[in-house]
Amino acid sequence: MALLSRVADRVYWGARYIERAEDTARVLRAFGDLYVDFPIAAGLTWGPLVAITGEAPLIDEAGDRGEQAVLHRLIADRSHSGSIISTIEFARENLRTTREVMPREAWQAINQLSQLSRDEAARAVGRRTRDWFLSRVIEISRRLDGVLESTMTRDAAWHMWRLGRLVERADMTTRVLGVRAAALLRAPVDGLDEVQWMGVLRSVSALQMYQRAVRGPIESGDVLRFLLFHEGFPRSVRSCLVGIQAEALALPDPASVIAQVGAVVAALDACDPDAHDGWAIDADMDRLQLAIADLDRAIISRFFTW
Amino acid sequence: MLDQLLNDLGIDGLIERQRAAEAEIQTMGITFTVYSDGDNIDRAWPFDVIPRIIDGDEWNRVEAGLVQRLRALNAFIDDLYNDQRIIADGVFPAELLADSVNYRPECRGVHPAHGVWAHISGSDLVRHDDGQFYVLEDNLRVPSGVSYVLENRAVTKRVFPDLFERQSIRPVDNYTDELNRLLTSIAPHGRRDPQVAVLTPGVFNSAYFEHSFLAQRMGAELVEGDDLVVGPDDVVSMRTIEGLTPVDVIYRRIDDLFLDPEVFRSDSLIGVPGLMRAWRNGTVSIANAPGAGVADDKVVYAWVPDIIRYYMGEEPIIPNVPTWRCMYADERRHVLDNLRELVVKPANESGGYGIVIGDRADDATLRECAAAIEADPRNWVAQPILALSTVPTIVSDSEVAQRHVDLRPFILTGQRSFVTPGGLTRVALPEGSLVVNSSQGGGSKDTWVVDVDRTDT
Repeated sequence: MALLSRVADRVYWGARYIERAEDTARVLRAFGDLYVDFPIAAGLTWGPLVAITGEAPLIDEAGDRGEQAVLHRLIADRSHSGSIISTIEFARENLRTTREVMPREAWQAINQLSQLSRDEAARAVGRRTRDWFLSRVIEISRRLDGVLESTMTRDAAWHMWRLGRLVERADMTTRVLGVRAAALLRAPVDGLDEVQWMGVLRSVSALQMYQRAVRGPIESGDVLRFLLFHEGFPRSVRSCLVGIQAEALALPDPASVIAQVGAVVAALDACDPDAHDGWAIDADMDRLQLAIADLDRAIISRFFTW
Repeated sequence: MLDQLLNDLGIDGLIERQRAAEAEIQTMGITFTVYSDGDNIDRAWPFDVIPRIIDGDEWNRVEAGLVQRLRALNAFIDDLYNDQRIIADGVFPAELLADSVNYRPECRGVHPAHGVWAHISGSDLVRHDDGQFYVLEDNLRVPSGVSYVLENRAVTKRVFPDLFERQSIRPVDNYTDELNRLLTSIAPHGRRDPQVAVLTPGVFNSAYFEHSFLAQRMGAELVEGDDLVVGPDDVVSMRTIEGLTPVDVIYRRIDDLFLDPEVFRSDSLIGVPGLMRAWRNGTVSIANAPGAGVADDKVVYAWVPDIIRYYMGEEPIIPNVPTWRCMYADERRHVLDNLRELVVKPANESGGYGIVIGDRADDATLRECAAAIEADPRNWVAQPILALSTVPTIVSDSEVAQRHVDLRPFILTGQRSFVTPGGLTRVALPEGSLVVNSSQGGGSKDTWVVDVDRTDT
């Protein structure tokens, strides 16, 4: 059965918002770990993290105040469209209007997630329940994909869902690297470089897989190479793009979208993993993000507009 | 049976099941929408866990009565838009038709499949203190609530799994299959495997949950006006990612006047330009057919017993509530003289809006009501204040008390008829209240039609 353009639009955005909530949860969980390990003197601050949702970093306050402000903004602030609570509500609103194409169990998972964030997001700003809350968000988001994986027909709605997940995931990986670049720019580090790059890997749940793939010390060039180019790691930009291409090809008349996937691949290939300074990484990630934004526009104009 | 259930559980057990039901409703995402609710447009469905029980033998009679009633009403609608025999024969007054706000001259001369216009209807029943069910009103346009009949049952099954093993409770779950079969059967030119679409006004409509539920359960597309386009060949199509795909049957949940801005309200943003043209030319079927509402205004209601006798040659199986029609001077006089003892209703409002209950209204309200009747008599009818039956309902964490209920069964009419066993029981939660509408704080209950094996006793 042909998929309505309007429904395709909502499925795609439902997937993007859920992925955004999950990825933000991963980043915050990893950063919390890193922060606790870091000597205060090293001046690690929370402010720049806000940039993962595409905003300018918060005016930085050191210590607890900064932590609370940033976590409120990223977890529980309903007035911020990039907070976990907001993205979950957007995802639910999109899925509420696509229930005829999605398995009912998926709708129940999103309701559970929405209930969780309504009840617990505010408390998760504090340290005591934060890790638990973020882990639940990740788990339910994963369960949602598990439900679809095991019970959804591989129809256009399925491919649209996958497309949304992968576009968001690719974008998020570039944002995490962008935040790292910004941190390098602000305070070139002495001695804690490895810990910081380890934090980057953790932010996209890549540390263990990185260590299996790249033996030896954790070092900027290798981390960038892994997160940008590794074909087998599902959160690398390369791997997401391979998936995006496959999903697009499974949808009708994808030529204009495929062309734009090519443009993102070109932007990816132009990234220099051995650039050690923040400026170069920052510029590379900017280019990639712009290309992904163009891909998003190509998807919208091909499938959702008439 | 209910007494035993309540005794076995005790109040604490009941409250525990009630909590479990409410949690289930959250997880299952069973919601309804309130218009004036600010940002929280999507509310959890209000549900009372104590079921309402109706005896199977009694129900068989109600069911037969509803089938009879809807057959007659459909014959009446078909007649009004075609030969108007009932007017020529002097049974139904011509001036009523002339005044009717729900009569659509645009529908004259159309012959929908099986002569059926109101395919899906919901009739509100009340049980009076004489023990008898009465029909309070018929909803032939876009009646809602059936999804909650199915969902209430799903919730009850989860919180009382043990009960269903011991009782013979008629299932309600096959409604959507029956609806699907009906919609498929009215496809133009008897087309097999037609594309069925549910047309919704959109996410902000109070019944959006139901529109989505029904589409999902039937494997139909849920479409909004914008998703549809009528071509120069009068073919109705949906905009999909593969381009335009034809639609054969539309189950519309939009009022007549918003259906097609080319014919009805030109400011309608939720309709589909050209839809009426396509329907008249038979390229698409619409359920309920445009114009079907002509038979559900509260003035026509007073004629339904005559309509049944006229078309069916039978006496009505379920009685009407006695109704005074303010358009007639003598009946109007009676209403104005007895306002305190009557329920006064505007003929064309739904959702319980505009109703004045005489013994509960203050003098000012009654004066306003009398003035409104004098100003536009055809728009008003009045009925005696019924002693609605009551059933046990959880009213607080420590109390079960009697509350008033009504009942809305859903009737499908095509080549054959189908009636939901039971229907939606709505309960007025405040003590003494008679207003059961969920938009005005009413709750709901699962309704069990129970077949008792009498050979044992």
